[in-house]
Amino acid sequence: MKQTRWQQATYRHPYLFALLLLVIAFTANALLQPNLLEPTTLNSNMRVFLPLILVTIGQAIVMIGGGIDISVGSIVSVVNALLATQIGLSGDLSTAGVMMGVALFVGMGAGALNGLLIAYVRLQPIITTFATSFIYAGLALFILPNPGGGAPSRLTAFYRETIILWLPLAFYIIALLLFIWAIMRRTRYGRYLYAVGGKAEAAYETGAPVRAVQFSTYVISGLMAALGGIAMTLLTGSGNAQVGDPLTLSSITAAVIGGTPLSGGAGGITGPIIGAVILGLIRNIISFAGVATWWQTFVNAAIIVLALAMPGIIRLVRRRRG
Amino acid sequence: MKRPTISPPLAAVLLAMALFLLSGFLPNGFGGNLDVATAQAINIVRLSVFLGIIAAGQTLVVISGGEGIDLSTGAVVTLTAILTYTIVSGKNEQVLPALLAVLVVGGLIGLLNGAGVAFLTISPLVMTLGMAGVVSGLILVITQGNVSGAVAPIMTQLIARPVLWGIPGAILIWAVFAAFMWLLLERTTFGKNLFAIGTNRTTARLSGINVTGMIIATYALSGMLAGLGGFLVVGNTGVVHIRIGEPFLFPSIAAVAVGGTLLTGGKGSYFGTMAGALVLTLITSLLTTMQMQESVRRMVLGATLLAMIAIYGRQRGFRQ
Amino acid sequence: MAPLLAVRNVAKRYGAVQALIDASLEVSPGETLALIGANGSGKSTLSKVINGVVAPDGGQLLFAGRAVRFGSPHAAKDAGISTVFQELSLIPQMTVAENIWLTREPLRRNILIDHRTERRRTEELLSLFAGTFRADLTPDTPVSALLPDERQIVEILKAISVNPRLLILDEATASLDSRQVQRLFDLIGQWKTQGTAIIFISHRMVEIEQIADRYSVLRNGQTVGEGAMKDATAGDLVALMAPEASGGAIERRRLSPDDLATRRVILQIDDLRTGILRGVSMRVHEGELLGIGGLKGQGQRDLLLAIFGGIPYNGRIMLDGKPVHFTHPRQAMKHGVALVPGDRTGEGLLSIRSILENLLVPSWRDYGFPLRMKRAHQNASVIAARLDLKMAGLDAPVSALSGGNAQKVVIGKWLLRNPSILLLDDPTKGVDIATKAEFYRLLTRLCDEGTTVILYSSDDEELISLSDRLLVMHDGRISSELAGASLTTANLVAASLGVARRETP
Repeated sequence: MKQTRWQQATYRHPYLFALLLLVIAFTANALLQPNLLEPTTLNSNMRVFLPLILVTIGQAIVMIGGGIDISVGSIVSVVNALLATQIGLSGDLSTAGVMMGVALFVGMGAGALNGLLIAYVRLQPIITTFATSFIYAGLALFILPNPGGGAPSRLTAFYRETIILWLPLAFYIIALLLFIWAIMRRTRYGRYLYAVGGKAEAAYETGAPVRAVQFSTYVISGLMAALGGIAMTLLTGSGNAQVGDPLTLSSITAAVIGGTPLSGGAGGITGPIIGAVILGLIRNIISFAGVATWWQTFVNAAIIVLALAMPGIIRLVRRRRG
Repeated sequence: MKRPTISPPLAAVLLAMALFLLSGFLPNGFGGNLDVATAQAINIVRLSVFLGIIAAGQTLVVISGGEGIDLSTGAVVTLTAILTYTIVSGKNEQVLPALLAVLVVGGLIGLLNGAGVAFLTISPLVMTLGMAGVVSGLILVITQGNVSGAVAPIMTQLIARPVLWGIPGAILIWAVFAAFMWLLLERTTFGKNLFAIGTNRTTARLSGINVTGMIIATYALSGMLAGLGGFLVVGNTGVVHIRIGEPFLFPSIAAVAVGGTLLTGGKGSYFGTMAGALVLTLITSLLTTMQMQESVRRMVLGATLLAMIAIYGRQRGFRQ
Repeated sequence: MAPLLAVRNVAKRYGAVQALIDASLEVSPGETLALIGANGSGKSTLSKVINGVVAPDGGQLLFAGRAVRFGSPHAAKDAGISTVFQELSLIPQMTVAENIWLTREPLRRNILIDHRTERRRTEELLSLFAGTFRADLTPDTPVSALLPDERQIVEILKAISVNPRLLILDEATASLDSRQVQRLFDLIGQWKTQGTAIIFISHRMVEIEQIADRYSVLRNGQTVGEGAMKDATAGDLVALMAPEASGGAIERRRLSPDDLATRRVILQIDDLRTGILRGVSMRVHEGELLGIGGLKGQGQRDLLLAIFGGIPYNGRIMLDGKPVHFTHPRQAMKHGVALVPGDRTGEGLLSIRSILENLLVPSWRDYGFPLRMKRAHQNASVIAARLDLKMAGLDAPVSALSGGNAQKVVIGKWLLRNPSILLLDDPTKGVDIATKAEFYRLLTRLCDEGTTVILYSSDDEELISLSDRLLVMHDGRISSELAGASLTTANLVAASLGVARRETP
């Protein structure tokens, strides 16, 4: 049972490493972009990060429950295609409201299909959501074969420009979600989530509703992806059936950097949120550091791989020394 | 009493045959014309070769267990296709050096994947995903937007044209390759150890298997095979573009799954993957002949994969 | 008194295997029923039918006089049936408290979990076993940080936390040391006075004789006898379980200390240290059967793993007079060292692969390229015959074998390599009596042929009757060495508890 203090600390607070990275990334970013903390700059950053943050929260919950959701990006695309075609650039606000409600249901429905196949038909999460991601991506293309459509500027302006008490809208949304999570964590459902992800057989033998919990994580993930899709639509103000594609991989990366193991049963959503912000900051840093255009993708990916490798490298070095 | 069971590779082959016969009834299908049917069948197999070889590395990685998967395959295929194109530059004598180069480059990328997975205990999904990003970035750095070069005549001749009794070279290459893969998996210590680490790594280690070395070797091999895939793909198409490998990623995993390789590792065969590659290629070409839109094609592909894994990819229930 | 639970003529089939044909039992409140039978006789299946994990194909369950059919473990638990599982039902990532109260967390306002109450109740439960586990085990310790015996205790506490009317203990003592078992038996005595019915499943006859009021014997899925313990002897029960078995352990002719002294020292260990070991030194002679005893988790596992190169260590190891330092099992293997690990399925077997492949895992390198499959088949057949392996064929998956036969495969894979030193980590745990006897004969024969055997066992009787010399471990050290006349159960028990000093013969 001899654990080092770092091990104990990371067990209780899995996001410690992410927090450390955040401080480094934030400092680097602030050096390159001195006005980073001004409300408008903060807002222009956070509104870009928010879609990924929302999707990542869903992804993290699925991962805690022992699964993975490769279809989140495609769900974002479906929602974007739906909103861009059904609301349109000149749509009125009531249609927009209705369509956003519909979008949430579509997201949950897509998640429910994933959950049904994984929890009740008992298919493997990776390959199942990989397959459904193809179906959803096809659906998005079917709704919106060519980029177009959009959302009215009054709506996009609300998303882009709202700042309350120096803090951008995104902060309040994140705070609300963290509050909901804190409550959830203290309910039986919260316990079940970790139990199911930790060791499903044991949870079943103890009498926890394993299948229902697994199913629910995918519905939550679908819902969060739909929210991410709405945010994405309001951010871009336009429709593109492939807009969600990069989010799948980023959400997994963000969750992992945030201390959520793919093996399930551990982690939280604080870390993944931080992870998503880190990914955004890295992009900022690269563009402000004047990296040549052709090198940007490479540098970005290399930094991410390094961040993913860091906990492992630290452990290796410690073992060599001890 | 034993329930009649059908092995997944056989099921996939049967499905491929059924799909092929079905395609004959399409308006522009072969109908009753045996010659046309043969030609079409050969063409389908020829088209499957590339996916089949790219999915070979994926098969090994999936068998190696520990949630093994190689998501860098698509990017590696693109990179090696571009490298082949650039190095060969239309000269026959440059073909072998190019082949060597892509195997080394693919192998090195795989080696990094393996090291990340084995030494740093990064999950394969995340590690290979990150590597896919790095390789894609590398492609941009190298090409800076334009690729110049050409394939050599000998490549086109050997890969794309009929070589023996009207059979295209690619198919012959695939046959030899399949024999090599069977030998590797079933008749070498490497193969036996691969199944062992895929089943239970602790048992494997306590039975004297160098698990870390095996993992690294497997990912390196997967990278090399993707490199070989890139070489063959560009030899077939004769042109290269910056996304040439991407469409192979999803099908390479799907082919392994459809071929009945256990996605949790420890069980599977390359014959299954070959059958899986045939099925996926057939479906794609079927949908293309039917002039389906890209959107419908994707949905059908996704639904097919779901159907196949629902048939024999179900996991054990809690209650017996 | 009317029975609390009556099981009548239950049958269950798993695919081709008929696990239960006709099983019946009755247990009354305040009574302990021993459910006994050889491996594969259906004990575990029957207990799983009772607690709702397995759905029976036929038969009847009467609980408190009413016919019941539990659709899930949850339903059985609601009815008052609680089980201590053989395969642990704890979630490693969660804490002790979280595990014990899973699905029954105390709530505030019907929604939020009341951490304080949960913690207090967990401490009350832990106090039942106070003193038998390490002091740093608290309600907030994650289960992954516990030793196997501590996990077992948490498992027992989890089962009794529901105040069950019927408690099933399925091999619950298998990983407990004698002190912990004694505490458990004291507690069982208390629960009985409170009217709890107990079904006790164990392979250890001594424990059954000590704790059970009545017995029910299963053989090949059928109930073949039941009655009061006071009317039956251990011999009677063994005869019921396995009529063909000649009985328990066989006496091995012990090598005398003088005899040993004349033999070559094949393994010499000095000041071996790991996370748990705190300086272990020993000499082992060629052809000797050296026993390692002591309470669970005193470093026995580490000692065997370190010799085998399975874990890093500090200290000197001399093999055949030459210093070695193995950093991987492969190197130990090449020097003729073999290890049968303690966790059969988790460390010894490749469950979904064939028996043939399991037997040959360490040896494929010797079969060239391409692998000579015919020769591999022949060699595997020889070993299978030598071990009297009961199987459908070499190509059958190893998961289809019973516990004892599966263990034979683990031993067989090393016998194929003719090891000069064979390390065994509790090899007869969960193995039935008939197969145990076969193992004893096998080990005796191996030693006679010159193989050196180091055997750790949690079964004291086994150690006493087999060992030429016995090292008792306590707290990461060898606390005592027993040989010749001092090699008695009484001395072993005393040394296990750390009372005796090390005496050199």
